[in-house]
Amino acid sequence: MLELIKKIVKAPAISGRETAVADVIRAQMESLCDEVYRDKLGNLIALKRGSAPEGERKKIMLAAHMDEIGFLVTFIEDNGFIRLAPIGGINFVAAAYTTVVFESGLKGVLVPESGTKADAMTFDRFYVDIGAKDKKEAQRRVKIGDYFVVEPSVTRLCGKRIAGRPMDDRIGCAIMVEAARRVPAPRDDVYYVFTAQEEVGCRGAKTAAFAIAPDVALAYDVTGTGDTIGAKPMAIKVGDGAAIKIKDSSVICTPAFVAELTDLARAEKIPHQLEILPYGGTDTSSMQMAGSGCVAGCLSIPTRYIHSGVEMIDLGDVEACVALTAAYLNRT
Amino acid sequence: MELKQRITQMAGLMSISGYETYDRAALTEQLGDIFDEVITDPMGSHICIRRCGRPGAPKILIDAHFDEIGMMVTQILEGGFLRVLNLGGIDTRILQAGEVIIYGEKPIYGIIGSTPPHLQKPDEAKKLKPIDELFIDTGYDKEELEKYVRLGTPVGFLPAYTELLGGKLAGKGFDDKACAAAAVHALAGMDRADQAGDVYLLLASQEEVGLRGGETGAVGIDPDYALVIDVTHGSAPDTKKDEAFPLGEGITISLSAATDLRLTRRTVELAREAGIKFTRVVEAANTGTDANVTQLVRCGIPTVLASLPLRSMHTYNEVLSISDAEELVKLISAFVGDTRIAEDFAR
Amino acid sequence: MTTENKLSGMELLRALCLEFGPTGCEHNVAALIEAQLKGVCEVKRDRMDNVLAHLPGSGPRIMLSAHMDEVGMMITSIDDKGYLRFTNVGGIDTRVLCGRRVQVGTAEHRIPGVIGAKAIHLQSAEARTKSTLVNELYIDIGADSREEAEKYVDIGDFATFDTGFGLYGQDDRQMRGKAIDDRLGCAVMIEVLRALAEEGGERSYDLWCAFSVREEIGKSGARVAAYGIDPEFAIVLETTAVGDIPGASPAARVAEIEGGGVISLVDRSTIYDTALVNFAMECGRAGNIPCQLKRYVSGGNDAGHIHKTGDGVRCLAISAPTRYLHSGNCVTAAANYDHIRDLVLAMLNRWDELN
Repeated sequence: MLELIKKIVKAPAISGRETAVADVIRAQMESLCDEVYRDKLGNLIALKRGSAPEGERKKIMLAAHMDEIGFLVTFIEDNGFIRLAPIGGINFVAAAYTTVVFESGLKGVLVPESGTKADAMTFDRFYVDIGAKDKKEAQRRVKIGDYFVVEPSVTRLCGKRIAGRPMDDRIGCAIMVEAARRVPAPRDDVYYVFTAQEEVGCRGAKTAAFAIAPDVALAYDVTGTGDTIGAKPMAIKVGDGAAIKIKDSSVICTPAFVAELTDLARAEKIPHQLEILPYGGTDTSSMQMAGSGCVAGCLSIPTRYIHSGVEMIDLGDVEACVALTAAYLNRT
Repeated sequence: MELKQRITQMAGLMSISGYETYDRAALTEQLGDIFDEVITDPMGSHICIRRCGRPGAPKILIDAHFDEIGMMVTQILEGGFLRVLNLGGIDTRILQAGEVIIYGEKPIYGIIGSTPPHLQKPDEAKKLKPIDELFIDTGYDKEELEKYVRLGTPVGFLPAYTELLGGKLAGKGFDDKACAAAAVHALAGMDRADQAGDVYLLLASQEEVGLRGGETGAVGIDPDYALVIDVTHGSAPDTKKDEAFPLGEGITISLSAATDLRLTRRTVELAREAGIKFTRVVEAANTGTDANVTQLVRCGIPTVLASLPLRSMHTYNEVLSISDAEELVKLISAFVGDTRIAEDFAR
Repeated sequence: MTTENKLSGMELLRALCLEFGPTGCEHNVAALIEAQLKGVCEVKRDRMDNVLAHLPGSGPRIMLSAHMDEVGMMITSIDDKGYLRFTNVGGIDTRVLCGRRVQVGTAEHRIPGVIGAKAIHLQSAEARTKSTLVNELYIDIGADSREEAEKYVDIGDFATFDTGFGLYGQDDRQMRGKAIDDRLGCAVMIEVLRALAEEGGERSYDLWCAFSVREEIGKSGARVAAYGIDPEFAIVLETTAVGDIPGASPAARVAEIEGGGVISLVDRSTIYDTALVNFAMECGRAGNIPCQLKRYVSGGNDAGHIHKTGDGVRCLAISAPTRYLHSGNCVTAAANYDHIRDLVLAMLNRWDELN
């Protein structure tokens, strides 16, 4: 599992430019599914047809987003420094003074203008220094519209915990790949959708769900926790199991589906917790609202320090999400 | 059945945003045989269909949202106290010392705690408490409470209805179930043959948290044209002239760039002809109602918005005038029965 | 208007800009466009009153989109003295309203008015430093009483700037007027349709042009049009704000006013299709048609709705770099009109090369 996670984490791909990671995931899914394709917005969709007779199969859509937050090059200054636009919710305090990687493999450092105070750290006060001596050299290596990300990494910590980026939401992608492996013959049609453009407003899931028109939709994404120093009180803890979402600010999950997942986790003795997130949004809402609507839920992976370079998760929680997914797909 | 009774019955149901199916059985009972079919869609909206009996008739959508604001349990504390989060826009100033029902495995009565003046720090009363600092006192032991309540259990205002002077009603949930009840009442009093088309009354879910069920419901129904009915602010000592409307002087019809100009003009004419008491109100770019989304469904659905004035919206005791609700009933009947609108706006 | 009354070039744009078409009241603009497209191609209106023009062909379905509506005002009440209170429809900075001429009314009839503002002599020192709130402003139509005003104006009526259209500057290189956002896009689509219809022959794409309603309040008619058309690709023709004004740093200038159509990489509502962006820039380069990449992430347009419609639409936006947007005098280089038309035509002509 850790190897799979590393592979998926280390393919840089910002919202709208997901090809690099889509290729990695496609390679994993091709042997497990009946059809694998990308759609107009760049979602990667892998369909595993169910074993039940036609007409008795439901359409189940599982979704985790492939895209990560990052940056676009918007302007090259005369001195060769590179100006940028953020894609997704960048925490610039966390992103300051980090190494960044361009799609070409070129590296640079992301720095604020000299003297910028932490509370004034917005995108227009930042630039990338790739070490170019002037504009000409910079233009040879980088052009407007190129993208870059804070360098991906995975570090093993105590026990089953790992930290790095982007766990959000490659960990969800890894869970789906692993679930597809463990459920070789699902009863229903399962659409494993690795979505595009979640970080900029859950856009890919919306069009994919419209095209698929699922009966049931289940998202996988990271969620905040209440178990760090200074955290707002919240019941979620890293290591306490799969977090079954009840609501976040974009969605109220279908209550009957929440109950079904909770009962299933209890019956199968899979560690789980209930999540009520007073902020945030996930692909869950896009899927629930697609077309004339569908039953929707979300399994969240408790994650500390989201949108930083050290997003921390527990592999036990990851396993719980895989196990609960497998139990759901194998239910009778 | 009297309109008043229909309103309090329906408003008294528990239908907090996201949990609109909780009282489905009671709702179905209230609707009796007025409708041919009541379908609950995956978003929890109830679609009540009443056909006119003519094949190929246009589909008329009446949208009234069925959800009401409420709360959700986020923590169960020692001593049987509960922490909550709001579902929909709740003014936290009104919550303290109010009566609520916790809709767990069995309904449990609770009171939202408050700090008496004796124990307050200087100036504490001037500050607004965020909802996550409030708590509900259930009078249960934690262990016993956990048998009935868990994270996510919805909490609503205690349903209790009082008649005030001048035919006014006070209680929870009139936003927007008073309008829904008015629509049911209008249809109950109407012959199917008098309908200009098949009526789809959409009791929409999740309006208070983002106009969600109104959109998916309308997508599923795919109507020819739509009347959205919702509440608007009733005049009170603390409202300004253009933002609120006196109770007892009828309903409002919205003039807006977000709704259909032609259908609105026709509805205004219709209301005049029918002698309905109404005021026209300008809501230029944003109506704040399901009309915002209904209009944009599929290939576009011509939509008009009418509203019922309501005082103290989103509180334990919203106040409406029965006579205004009666005007709304008249408008719905006239709209549903109007063959000219049906001819002009049928696809 | 008869077919002999066909307008083209700057005259077409002028006529479009002068037409009364605030959000929610686009009828007159729609009628003018329909008249201008008579005999060119099949034109219909959808249920939201978007005007849809169709040039059939085999191959992918492409939607061009420009909105007909302009920012405006709506009358909320008429006071005892006959003054009109109003609110904005679409984002308007109140500082561009005070003292301006407006037209008030409906598609059918209108009268002139002036947005009143308290004379500076009568303002307190504090008020002089502050911008006025829109609900403190009023329109003066010269009426002496409510009764007189009500003969001409009703609540719910609309108002727009009455500031004309014109060319100015060295060799008339800049144009100014109300509603350049987005009648310029409408004019470009009309010219494109005419050019393609005239050219005739087999087309390797199926082209739909949507002249859409209600962009300025975000209740996007283009979304509804896109649902009905169900295109594979969409090109939104728009205007974009530029910051090429005194004091702006190079990175914050967004684009150059004389640089031709602005191709957006990303804005607040859309990440544009990379292949389309590259294709547009390549068509510009190869055809010697000025165009430029947008340097800043700001704003949004109908593409934000269109690209998420149905099972998704691959989107591009080409915008005229425009100063003073949402005022009675928007300004762009006159040449951008031709540049954007040429770029769209060049792209359509080479569409089968898009990968």
